[in-house]
Amino acid sequence: MNKELLKKSQSLLALFALCLVITLLSDKFMTTTNLWNVLRQISVNVCISVGMTLVVLMAGIDLSVGSVLAFSSAVCAGLLKSGLEFQSFDLFVGFTVLGGVLVALLVGLLMGLFNGFVITKFSIPPFVATLAMLTIARGATMLYTKGIPISNLGSSFEFIGSGWLLGIPLPVWISLIVVLVMVFVTKKTTFGRYIYAIGGNEKAAFLSGINVNRVKLWVYGLAGTMAAIGGVLVTSRLNSAQPNAGVSYELDSIAAVVIGGTSLSGGVGTVTGTVIGAAIIGVLNNGLVLLDVSPFWQQVVKGGVILLAVIIDRKSKGSK
Amino acid sequence: MKYAILIVLIALLGYNSVYFEKLSDRNSKTSESFDFATYADSLYTQGLLKAETPIAIDQLLVEVKADQNRAFETYGNRLGIGNSAYFMVSVEGTVAEKTDGLLKVRDKSGTVWPVDTEFIFGNAIRDASRLVKLTDFKTNAEFNALSEALNSIIREEAIPEDLEELRQGDEVTVNGAIKLSKNEDLTIRVVPVQIDKP
Repeated sequence: MNKELLKKSQSLLALFALCLVITLLSDKFMTTTNLWNVLRQISVNVCISVGMTLVVLMAGIDLSVGSVLAFSSAVCAGLLKSGLEFQSFDLFVGFTVLGGVLVALLVGLLMGLFNGFVITKFSIPPFVATLAMLTIARGATMLYTKGIPISNLGSSFEFIGSGWLLGIPLPVWISLIVVLVMVFVTKKTTFGRYIYAIGGNEKAAFLSGINVNRVKLWVYGLAGTMAAIGGVLVTSRLNSAQPNAGVSYELDSIAAVVIGGTSLSGGVGTVTGTVIGAAIIGVLNNGLVLLDVSPFWQQVVKGGVILLAVIIDRKSKGSK
Repeated sequence: MKYAILIVLIALLGYNSVYFEKLSDRNSKTSESFDFATYADSLYTQGLLKAETPIAIDQLLVEVKADQNRAFETYGNRLGIGNSAYFMVSVEGTVAEKTDGLLKVRDKSGTVWPVDTEFIFGNAIRDASRLVKLTDFKTNAEFNALSEALNSIIREEAIPEDLEELRQGDEVTVNGAIKLSKNEDLTIRVVPVQIDKP
């Protein structure tokens, strides 16, 4: 029983240990400003990783989240900044913050659905299909932005990424809502149980009457939407959509999912575990910066931590 | 009933998401507001092009090596509390190579200095020029808009014109901005303001 409890909380213990070590090594870590800053930074990865968790639970992978984030945020920024002009009708259609955000989410959803469609319809491995989308979406972002950042999106939009609500940064509230909704979806809905069933044994899930393709389609759609939420947070925080936004975010989100205990072979894992995984990555990033570790070494350390998490996961499965 | 609620919700979201204006009205309104492009243009022609020749890049590096703090204070512009600063410098030499997006200038000592001729973004020129301050603007966004307008004049008009006649082996003087850091060796790339063929 105690062993089981220890296994379940190993990511949380790792997070506490990491916080303790960094606190001992840097007096700046446990300051209110820094902790809020860490939470703000984690929010983006939490949103993306929660979507990635659903995909990985289904034994899939989505390598396109970083590029989907970039494209959806570029479209959002473009519409907020320039709207749509119809010269022949002498008409300008402007977008409010709500409009821009909704379009971004729609773009993310559509790109995710496209991933799901390609994977289910043509039986293409998720790795390949989403890798293709990674390139397509990045290229589309460059075409849309012409490689130039879209800046000055207005203070109301900036508030989403930089504002505070009840003493807590708004991005933290947003990621909290995303997490709560997805915890509910995975734990309390039939759709959530289908995801675990497909990840556990796709053939058995199919034979028991689950519409596997439809579930996959919507899971990839959700992953795209979550990436778009992350995109809105990044863009509003910078008050600018960068054409190279989200580069390598897919790796950070996969790392958060794996460190959080979700098995890459599907069927095992939780959204809350991923949140802890994202926190570990965020604290690690922050700690390495505070300790003045070279960015090159930071990458080596992060890679090492991911490797360690996978080895522990494999070992614990092997000992069963 | 379910569909009725859905339609009402979509209509409500749609109503609060977009607004419509006559394009002609909007264009006339826009022209009345502050024109960053014109301001940036005068900053470029009246400020940057008429400024004294900046310190030679090799001379700056010698001074940084001798007394870093003094050199940063005298020639650099540091925004905020970071360890890096932007400097306006001049590079004199001959064109060693001219490729898409990059000009390599070899100075008398043989050192080759890379000059970005396409990727002219960021705040290097605005900050190295020391002609404008953040406090001159109402918001960070406005301060950045000026940078964007200035970069776009240099990137799209000035530099392509300067580059047109330039061939390998030509003598050249480049005035531009570089970034240096107090505690790490950054790769130096000059963001040009002007490329002159004497």
